[in-house]
Formats: sequence, C-alpha cells, structure tokens
Amino acid sequence: MSTVNIDRLLKRVQKPTRYCGGELNSVVKDPASVKIRYAFAFPDTYEVGMSHLGIKILYHCLNLRPDVYCERVFAPWIDMEEEMRREGVELFSIETRTPIREFDFLGVTLQYEMSYTNILNMLDLAGIPLRSRDRGEDCPFVNAGGPCAYNPEPLADIFDFFTMGEGEEVIGELMDAYNEWKAEGGKRIDYLKKIAKIEGIYVPYLYDVEYNGDGTLKSMTPNCPEAKPRVRKRIIEKLDEVAFPDKFIVPFMDIVHDRVSLEVFRGCIRGCRFCQAGMIYRPVREKSPDRLVRDAVSLIGSTGYEELSLSSLSTSDYTRFAELADRLLEFTEKEKVSLSLPSLRVDNFGLGLMERVQKVRKSGLTFAPEAGSQRMRNVINKNVTEDDLMHSVGLAFDGGWITVKLYFMIGLPYETDDDIAGIARLAEKVVERYYSSEKTNKRRAPSVNISVAGFVPKPFTPFQWAEQNSPDTLRRKQRLLKDEIHNRHIKYSYHQSDVSVLEGVFARGDRRLGDVLVRAFELGCKLDGWSECFDMEKWRRAFLDCGVDMDFYTRERGADELFPWDFVDVGVTKEFLAAENERASRAETTPNCRQKCSNCGAAALCEGGRCSVYTEESSLNAVRKMREQ
Amino acid sequence: MNDYCLIYEKTDAAKYISHLDFVRVMGRMLRRASLPAAYSEGFNPHPLMVFALPLPVGYTSGCELMELRLAEEIPAAEVESRLRTAAPAGINVLSVREGKSRMKRLRYALYRVTPERMPASAEGFLARREIVVEKKTKSGVKDTDIRADIIGISLAGGHIDMTLSAGSDRNLKPDVVMRAMNKYIDGYDSGDCEYHRAAIYDDGMEEIK
Repeated sequence: MSTVNIDRLLKRVQKPTRYCGGELNSVVKDPASVKIRYAFAFPDTYEVGMSHLGIKILYHCLNLRPDVYCERVFAPWIDMEEEMRREGVELFSIETRTPIREFDFLGVTLQYEMSYTNILNMLDLAGIPLRSRDRGEDCPFVNAGGPCAYNPEPLADIFDFFTMGEGEEVIGELMDAYNEWKAEGGKRIDYLKKIAKIEGIYVPYLYDVEYNGDGTLKSMTPNCPEAKPRVRKRIIEKLDEVAFPDKFIVPFMDIVHDRVSLEVFRGCIRGCRFCQAGMIYRPVREKSPDRLVRDAVSLIGSTGYEELSLSSLSTSDYTRFAELADRLLEFTEKEKVSLSLPSLRVDNFGLGLMERVQKVRKSGLTFAPEAGSQRMRNVINKNVTEDDLMHSVGLAFDGGWITVKLYFMIGLPYETDDDIAGIARLAEKVVERYYSSEKTNKRRAPSVNISVAGFVPKPFTPFQWAEQNSPDTLRRKQRLLKDEIHNRHIKYSYHQSDVSVLEGVFARGDRRLGDVLVRAFELGCKLDGWSECFDMEKWRRAFLDCGVDMDFYTRERGADELFPWDFVDVGVTKEFLAAENERASRAETTPNCRQKCSNCGAAALCEGGRCSVYTEESSLNAVRKMREQ
Repeated sequence: MNDYCLIYEKTDAAKYISHLDFVRVMGRMLRRASLPAAYSEGFNPHPLMVFALPLPVGYTSGCELMELRLAEEIPAAEVESRLRTAAPAGINVLSVREGKSRMKRLRYALYRVTPERMPASAEGFLARREIVVEKKTKSGVKDTDIRADIIGISLAGGHIDMTLSAGSDRNLKPDVVMRAMNKYIDGYDSGDCEYHRAAIYDDGMEEIK
C-alpha cells in the first residue's frame, strides 16, 4: 500500500478543494482493516460528480460493510492533470490518496455519453490498461453502471463488467463473490465467470458478436455456459427498506447541486416517447412520506445544508405529494431551510404551494412543453395541452413572476416545419398572456426564454428506431425557428448540434465504437461535456482513422433490426416500444400508468410479476383529477 | 444583541478552502450546531458573520477571528462546545466569548513562513530603503514598494517569522515578501513555502485574541 503526495500540486492548481479531501462526513477507515478496496469514480470534475445522488447511495452501501472501504475519485481538471503528468503522480483516491491502480475495484457511473473519453483519461492517469483484454491479474476490476450502461456495447472493450439497474443489492453480491473468489484462489477470468451468473451482471468478454453484410448486428451469443443470453436489470422493489445515507459528504467548495437531495420515487408513470429515463426506470416505486421526512430531518442535521430538494422524474406525480410537501415545509420553515421542487409538471401544481416553496426568491420558473404544436406533443406523448401551459404560466405571472423558461426539442420524429413554427407561436402566446392579465405589473416587462435542444434518439424508447437529424438539418430548423420569432420579450437559445450527434452515435452504438473512442482519446479528446474543451475536428479524425461512419449510427433503423442493446431486459419490451412508435406516427397518445395499464412489460420485474402502479383506485383518482382541472 | 467573538485554527485540508467558500462552510456549521444565527434582511438573507482578515487559499492559521450574531442568547461556553462538535476536520474552535472584538483596529499580522531553503540572513534585505515587487491590484499588475509594510523579519530554526501590515487599509501577504527575498537576496532560492498566520495585532501592537 502506498499513497501519493499532492501537497505541492495543490498549491499550483486553481481549485484545490476538488482534490484535498477531508470533507465533513467523508468516510475514514483504516485501509489495512478491510478486505476490499473499492474506488468509486464519477468521470467528470469533482463539482459535477459530487452533485450526483447515486454515488452517495452506493458509497454509503459499500461503506456500511466492515470488510469494504469505498473511496471516491473524479476526473482532474486540466490544470491538475498537467501537474500530475509533469510530476508523475498517478490518479489517486480522495479519501486516502491511494493510487487507483492498487484498488480491487474501480466502479464508474455512466451518466452521459460525452464523459466516455474522461474514463479513458482516468484509466491512463491511473496506469491501468485502457482495454479489458490488456489488464493483468493485479489490475482492479474496472466496471460500470448507471443509465448509459443499458447500452454498454460502445464500452464493451473497456470495462470488465457492467451492472444493469439499481445497485444497492447487487453491489453487495459482487463483494460477497469477491471474498469467495479470493478464498478459492482463482484467476481474474474465474471471478468474471462467477459473477456472470448474478442477475444484472454483464461481462462483455463472454459474448461473441457477429455482423451482417450491411453492418447491422447479426447475433450476440454467450461463449461460455456462465453467461446469460439475456441480462435482466435489477430493481429495488421496496424503497423504504433499502439503505439510504443518513449523512451526505459536505464539500468545501460550491458544487453544482449543493444541497440535500431526497429521492421521492423511481420510475415515471408518464411514458413520454423520447424519454429514456421514463422507460428504463419502470415500474414506479415510491418512498413513504414517513421515510422521506425522517431522511430530511437527519440529513439536514448531519450536513447543515440550507437547501432541501426533492428528486424524481416528475415530482408532482408523487401520490401523496400534498401531504409530503406540507410535512416537509413544516420542518424547513422552522429550520430556515429552503425547499426546492424541480420537475413539477405544467398540468398539476398549484400557486399556493409555489409561493410557499419560493417564499424568499422569485427566481425564474421553468416549464417543459417539449414541443410547440399539440399534434407534436401528442406524437411524443407529452400529455400537456396549451391550456395547461397557459393556465400555469398565467398563475405564475399573476403571482409576480416575470421570467419563465420554456424547454423544447427539435428534430423529433414525424416533425414538420409547422410544428417548429409552433414553438414561436406558443412563446408569443405566453408573452400575450402577461399583457392580457389585469393582475400583472405592466411597467415591468416579461421575459420568456426558450431553450431548444436537438432530439437524440435513445435505446429503450419508442423512438429508438428514429433517424437523428444531421447538424445541417438541425441548423436549418434552428434558423427557421429564429425567423419565426418577432417578439423582443422572447429570448432564444439552442444547444450545440455537433455534441448531440456524438451523443446519439454513442447512445445507439455498438462494439466497433470502442476503437474510435480510444483513438479520440489518443488525439486528445477529453472533458467533451465542457464546451471549452470539446473539439469536433478531433472526433471526425478519430472516426476517419478507424474507418467508422457516423451516419451509420444516426440513420433510421429497420423495423426488424437486432439492436446491440436488445440482450438487456429492462422490463419494458421491444414489442411495447414498437407499438408506441406506431401510435406516435398517428399522433395518438397513451394514457399514463395510473389511468390505464398499457402492459409495457415492467411488471415482470416485480415479485409475482405484478406491478402495483395501476389499481382500480389509481384509475378513479386519475379520472377525478382530470375532472377537477 | 447576542454578539460573539470566535477564535479558531484553520489547518490540514481546511487550509484550501477559499474565503468565499468558508463563509458557507461556517453557515452550515452553525446549522449543524443548532445555533440560530441572526440573518441579514433583504432578498438573500445570510447569517450575520464578520471575518477579521480573510486568509489566502493554502495558508494555515492559528488566530482566525470572526464575529457572529445569534438570534438567541446562549452562554458563550455552550456556543463554544456546540461549535467544536459541529466543526469539520481542520477547523478547530479555540475560544468563544460574548461581545464585540477589536477587529476594526487590526493593523498588523505575524506570519511564520517555512521555506524549503533558508536565507543566510535577512539583514541586507531589511536594510534596503526600497523593496519593489510586482503586486496584483484591482487595476492590474504594477510595481509597488512594500518596504514600509514590512515591520520586522526574523529567522529561527527553519522558519522565517515576519510581521507585516494587515487589514483593509494596508495589507501585505508573506508570499509577496518571499518573492521579494528571492529577488533581492543574492543567490537565494526559497523553493516552495508553507505559510501560517500566527497572530494579529491592533494599532498599538497589542495582540487581538
């Protein structure tokens, strides 16, 4: 065991608190007292990684075990990387400054495709071979999980294994298997074969892949008896009973989400057809208000945070939302803690709540109608009407807010130019709503900010077959929208389209992208999620050098095509997704899970194959809610 | 008014916390200690805390002074013990007492610098009438004569102790002095240095603590 000395380096870098460790509530153990050392990596900078809830949960789960010491590691910023390479300092853990190479596991969470080159850079800094097949017996097991792991294939050469789904239980099984394997005295491959039998674990090395003449996937077959033909994702059925940290690490520096974040439920009842999260986290499972309030009290007490936020895909869809909000506000108001409620839906929140929540600051409110025309909102199954939006925006304006932000996507399947122009029309109506109300202050000018992103088709969504618009097409559509905006109160911003293309290529990519990734890293690509670092020219060069065509991955996919990610069983079936795509083409909506069960397949993941989201009561409540509006 | 003066040390990892971040760290420490801070009025209420002299990033200190106002009257000993429990590693609360401090009269500070290599002597350096270094100011980098702000320098056992002007009117940081020593003392190369603030003084050279 050794440690690196970084004191000299810390004097020379911009933000030393990214690397110095010693934060309140970080776990201190004697490394000599444990059997397994686990380095948990977030492949982006400290302030991004420390904002992520998943890392806090798994750090807690692993450190609950006396035989494991889990430490954190992040991607160093450019200045620190330069110092490390110059001084020959290897990538190290935050807690004990131990070289990552000396750990038993390096677990990486995959949140975003554009962080993939950071993973390679971190492996390189750690002195660990980039490709799984080049790693020796003394290397850590390099593994990954998180939403992007549901299509692991572009990273199949890099990782020794992947975990599909929620990690709280399976990570313990992996640790137990490690102890057994150590006792048995096996080789590296023996451990991988051993865990291939665990539900949710995918070992890419144990599968052979064949392609058709046109480049599409022909087959993917296990090459040993331990590997399963299909890998089913893991879920935690009873969220109230699973471990959740009673302490969060409190960073010394300002991080992106610097607050206590409570996970209210997993999954989403809505079924927006562009949304991967809405499909891969099914079925919906809630925590009880009792558990959430208890967690809130203990976390605020142990961290001293001044802000509490509820996290989920659509917070107002929580069945006991009013009760929870009341009970939390009772506590937060007394403690002078502010409560933030992101992800409220346009169609179901009240002004009273909004005012209580934002008592102090009337900052901007954000709405996500996603598409400009009703036809297009039906295509994507965003069951929000123009009336809903006008109603909510009106409440906000009348309540004293003057800035609203509206999120949209362009480049969606079945989209026409008129649908894009609809974004401008909708934004203008929002401005009009401000001036037509008697309650708004006309001496102040409203500000309607529309933020437009290019649509990226993702695996396990009804749009996984769709073509992704080329940057040229997107630029044409962006210009078209710009020309349609004639109101000075509307501010228009859009996302860089080159990044979206790469995101799409890797999201629906296959094993052949592994070489491109390594090549891009060799050419100097890293921190691609940071616009000041992103360099499309290098990426183009990498694709060219490897003879891989980006267009192959952004094209429309054949109805019967076998996808690289089809071997993963996320619950929701391919048949359901295909049927949803059909309905989208006819601009037909699908009711949400509480209104009517559409047999998406996620029920198969639950005990007894029964999902409890749709009940007679839930459908009655849904009807009642609709009548009230 | 429930005013308190707090003296604390800043060491280990805590030395890397910037002043701006430190204000937030303190706010959270108060909440963990269940000490009800008095808040400022306005759009973004913040706990009422005043720091005597911001500490540069990377410096340790044994004499940090802050004033704090609480919404309730709580005995100083109680405040002290609760803060001690709530403090993160590297922030060590040394004392808490009721009332205001003399921080407005702060004029000088004593720093202990630990370089990799010691100079043979500081006498020639101190005998100079002018010590000109490039100093960053709000309007850019400019040549500044810092001689008048060096009150004294003594060498002892691997350390350079220096008393310098401190406060909002005139302030000199020891890393600037080290730059000057490297420039003016023939053949001297200090290497990397550790900086530690050891004491602060008022206009009568009486220690504020």
